[in-house]
Amino acid sequence: MIASDHEQDHKPQTFNDHVMKTSSFSVNYWLDYIVRLFYIGKHSVRIFVIPLLSIMVGLLAWQGLTQTHADIILDFSNIPSPLHVYKSFLNVVVTKTYWKDIYWSLYRIALAFTIGSLVGVTVGVALGYSAILRLIIAPYIEIMRPIPAIAWVPMSILMWPTTEQSIVFITFLGAVFPIVLNTWDGVKRVPIELVKAARSLGANRISVLFHVVIPYAIPNITVGMALGMGAAWFALLAGEMISGRYGIGYFTWESYELIQYGNIIVGMLTIGILSSITSGAIYLIKRKIVPWSE
Amino acid sequence: MEDIGHIEIQHVCLGYKSGLDTRTVIKDLSLTLGAGSFTSLIGSSGCGKSTLLNAIGGHYKPLSGSILLDGVEIKTPSADLGIVFQQHTLFPWKTVKENVRFGPMRRGAGRVVSDKLADEYIELVGLSGYENYYPKMLSGGMQHRAEIARALANKPAVLLMDEPFGALDAQMRVSLQDSLLSIWQNTHVTIVFVTHDVDEAIRLSQRVVIISQRSGSISSIIETNKTHNESIERSAERTHELKSRCLTLLSA
Ligand SMILES: Nc1ncnc2c1ncn2[C@@H]1O[C@H](COP(=O)(O)OP(=O)(O)OP(=O)(O)O)[C@@H](O)[C@H]1O
Ligand SMILES: [Mg+2]
Repeated sequence: MIASDHEQDHKPQTFNDHVMKTSSFSVNYWLDYIVRLFYIGKHSVRIFVIPLLSIMVGLLAWQGLTQTHADIILDFSNIPSPLHVYKSFLNVVVTKTYWKDIYWSLYRIALAFTIGSLVGVTVGVALGYSAILRLIIAPYIEIMRPIPAIAWVPMSILMWPTTEQSIVFITFLGAVFPIVLNTWDGVKRVPIELVKAARSLGANRISVLFHVVIPYAIPNITVGMALGMGAAWFALLAGEMISGRYGIGYFTWESYELIQYGNIIVGMLTIGILSSITSGAIYLIKRKIVPWSE
Repeated sequence: MEDIGHIEIQHVCLGYKSGLDTRTVIKDLSLTLGAGSFTSLIGSSGCGKSTLLNAIGGHYKPLSGSILLDGVEIKTPSADLGIVFQQHTLFPWKTVKENVRFGPMRRGAGRVVSDKLADEYIELVGLSGYENYYPKMLSGGMQHRAEIARALANKPAVLLMDEPFGALDAQMRVSLQDSLLSIWQNTHVTIVFVTHDVDEAIRLSQRVVIISQRSGSISSIIETNKTHNESIERSAERTHELKSRCLTLLSA
């Protein structure tokens, strides 16, 4: 057999394919939209106007349905009207608790996501680069991966001394798997020719890892991080709603319990904005650190 | 210095395993490449030239037989065995300069020395001004030249080149041939040069080794009696004679 120095794993890439496809760079949509405002030509007015009209019509319909207490499938009498939401927003935005909740959520995301990225990239590289580590780690990944982070809530509360730690842990779990799987996938795809070239230039296994394997996998790693960010928010909100004190998820759930329905929607929109800003930041960072791919 | 880069290929068989059966490409090939020699390999497409070159470079283990570098069996790739691959193998995330200084940096030359070496060889292959370009931004031929610079800057004892000038225009080709010859004359590096171009093989090398696809081994070796100090151009008559001998042997 022609024994190549670097054994490459051409095993199926099936199970993480579905993770790779759904990307959520919603910030891009708004960025593009805003950028387009500055370049409006005669022919492109409609790409600015139609989305705006569409939203206006939606808001009007929503206002109308709630004002008439319509009861078509959904019970609109319980749904706050857009104007109500707007007023709630104005009330809430000046309070300290609102910003404190945002601060707590962002803090938890930052902490869990940083740890998740470090662990995820390390484990993913180990899986892709070392046959023996793959044999040791892969079964654990395969057992844990299908368990949604939310399913960890009860166990996590029991495991960790404080609720705060258990929320961060759940968020970490949300972030880590997409990062592991995408890093692994990227490392698997490293072209054998590049590894051979590096070896012929005198690179040892460590140099190959840092100069060939990891740089090659960076685009995949950033995809994993973007997906991980989405999953982290998902897990964080579950954790905050179930067991939190502070946090935007807690804010939203508390609004329900205190019958402040306008605040529920303020909370939801805030979550949407925070989550797309953080995902978008990853996208922008990717463009910065991978100039060679474009 | 003269003694570094002596390669001994002893009864080597090379092939590829797919499933249970093995397809042998090179059968029982023996060849000695003296330190500081310049040898060309020619032969039809698919006869196993790249396979042989990769084996010398330490990337493939022979099915049987062995390949020795200065008396030591080649088991892994090393910086002494420089390769210019047939495919593009520049690191896409490194600029031209970062690619070229990669080898010297790995060998422990400092940043300053490596940068100087890189500049020198980038200039040699005519890529000055493109130091900070990423491979994606270069044409195919320019990428090949950067790869040549990268291999040369590492100053290997043996330089294995797999159709390095294939993608270049005639003028650039001649200019790089001349550069390669002067590097060879100055450094006494052992060069193994794969090409499809008989003229090129004759112009550059001391020996032209013709590999036959049918036998999977050497069909003949043509000595050009070239020496390190000889001026590049031979008499037209001699070149013509060598060429027709090569062509006859190739089509045999
Ligand atoms: N990785 C591989 N796996 C299986 N077979 C291979 C592999 N690489 C090459 N071969 C086979 O080995 C034979 C020789 O290939 P090789 O690349 O050495 O030819 P070559 O002489 O360099 O041809 P060319 O002049 O076209 O570059 C071919 O028949 C090819 O199909
Ligand atoms: Mg070839």
